[in-house]
Amino acid sequence: MTNAVKKGRKKSRGIVRRSAKTIFAFFYGMPIVWIILTSFKQETDVFSTQSSLFFSPTLSTYRQLLTSSLFESFTNSIIIATCATVLTLLVSIPAGYALAHFSNQTLGIGLTALIIFQMIPQTATIIPLFQIFNKLGMLDTLPSVILADAALLTPFAILLMRPFFRSIPFALVEASQIDGASSWQSFSKISLPLARNGIATTATLIWIISWGEFLYAVNLILSPNSYPMSAILAQQVGGFGIFWPGLMALSVLASLPVAILFIFTYRLLREGLTLGAVK
Amino acid sequence: MTLLSPKSSIDAIRSAQRKGGHLLYVVPAVFLLTLLSAFPLFQLARMSFNDVGIKNITGVWTNVGFANFKAIASDPDFKQILINTLVFVGIVTFLGLILGFAAATAFNDAKKSSDFLLAFMVFIWALPPIVNGSVWKFLLGGDGLINVLLQKVSLISEPIPFLYDPKIALYSVAMVNCWAVIPFNALILKAAFKSVSKDVLEASEIDGVTPIQQIRYVYFPSSRPTLLVLAILTLVYGFRSFDFIYVMTYGGPGLATNTLPFLGYIKAFVLFDFSKGAAIALLSAIFTSGLALLYSRSVRKEEHND
Repeated sequence: MTNAVKKGRKKSRGIVRRSAKTIFAFFYGMPIVWIILTSFKQETDVFSTQSSLFFSPTLSTYRQLLTSSLFESFTNSIIIATCATVLTLLVSIPAGYALAHFSNQTLGIGLTALIIFQMIPQTATIIPLFQIFNKLGMLDTLPSVILADAALLTPFAILLMRPFFRSIPFALVEASQIDGASSWQSFSKISLPLARNGIATTATLIWIISWGEFLYAVNLILSPNSYPMSAILAQQVGGFGIFWPGLMALSVLASLPVAILFIFTYRLLREGLTLGAVK
Repeated sequence: MTLLSPKSSIDAIRSAQRKGGHLLYVVPAVFLLTLLSAFPLFQLARMSFNDVGIKNITGVWTNVGFANFKAIASDPDFKQILINTLVFVGIVTFLGLILGFAAATAFNDAKKSSDFLLAFMVFIWALPPIVNGSVWKFLLGGDGLINVLLQKVSLISEPIPFLYDPKIALYSVAMVNCWAVIPFNALILKAAFKSVSKDVLEASEIDGVTPIQQIRYVYFPSSRPTLLVLAILTLVYGFRSFDFIYVMTYGGPGLATNTLPFLGYIKAFVLFDFSKGAAIALLSAIFTSGLALLYSRSVRKEEHND
């Protein structure tokens, strides 16, 4: 093949690649730009095409939004996401460690059970959870949402962390036990520190998912006063005559914690997701 | 001789570990999952064979056998729901994989801009689904940006009722779901592309293959195990998906955007017919369990290949 053909191919490949990247950039950039722009608009600006890009930005929507009740639902979101993350990690870390070292039939059954639990639709589990928490008198409390989230995320967390524990050479654990370490010591002093990336990845993802979870929150919490942010958004977007600047400003506020977390953990997430998804 | 050789003491530890030395570590997870996953499933199954409404949900239930399932099956709308589910899941899985593969291919260069764009897309994937659903509801509205842009370039003269026309709404929501899953698939596939050896790539280039051939004969086969796993994950994602439906159409107009799992939810929490909701939810759970078995098998095959 001549060099000219090769060069031509390289060039056309570059054009195809660049246009594909432009298309992806448009479809993923545009919604974010639109959320942010709209949150600084006045109601009259929202649907007038003249002011779609050029308008005088206003902070009035944010000012209206930032009330004590919003602060309360922000706090509720933090409580739900943080407690659900801690509870899920407490039960999943030891389980992920143990399942990394089992190698018999029980393992297969255990893993399959976890995958089954992980895949059952939330719209299905909310039905019996509503009934159970109703019977226990726990409806309209944050713990009901925290427990439901923990149950939703525990299988996911175990399956995500197991490959991290598996990647630690078992010889290290064995060596420590030959030196007289107890099972707990070799877990907490050897395996745990070595699996910290996996634990951090899992913690981040669980926190992000329970921060955004709204189906359990909307159905298990009865009074909108105690809704977390996600449930407030769900309630508002379902109503008639949506006030778009308000909804978009609320979206920005609900996304901020995720954005901050994401900036610090992206590298970790990239490795962790790749390892966890296919292993 | 009673002295244990190091080898046999390692074996002793190893077998003790494997036999049950670690059993205590799974107790908390088993406890939590029994109470909050297995028991609820059992309750769900019980509900689907009883008559449960909002009045007796915490009271006494009357057994009705298979009546709930029979009522669902004979409902003339049920067929429509099944078709909706099939179309919805089909679009999300098929396009989600193809476009995910396309994105991974486009980002598969050593450029900073590709890394940044992928990171940005994964960030959007990580945003609360309710945020993404809200903005797409806004963008796809009658006066929304998409309609405005299409009218500006004179592709259409009248706004398209993306979410209000029963013929279009299902496709609109499915496309947004697709959009939401592409970043994840692209991230995983791009990582899978890294395992393609440089030698193979160079050899193929020396042999003068076209870029399309390279994708077809080098990247596609080498990422096949990953694609299979992703296919099941995306299928389950599409089937379980309720957030975008909830936000954008709430199943409407009419039943147009109801999928099977969403219908179960509507029956239980909007119509307060918990037993029919439970019956539909149980069917959905059985379906995902089948997929779970398939997934479990293909993932364990990967693990054995290590």
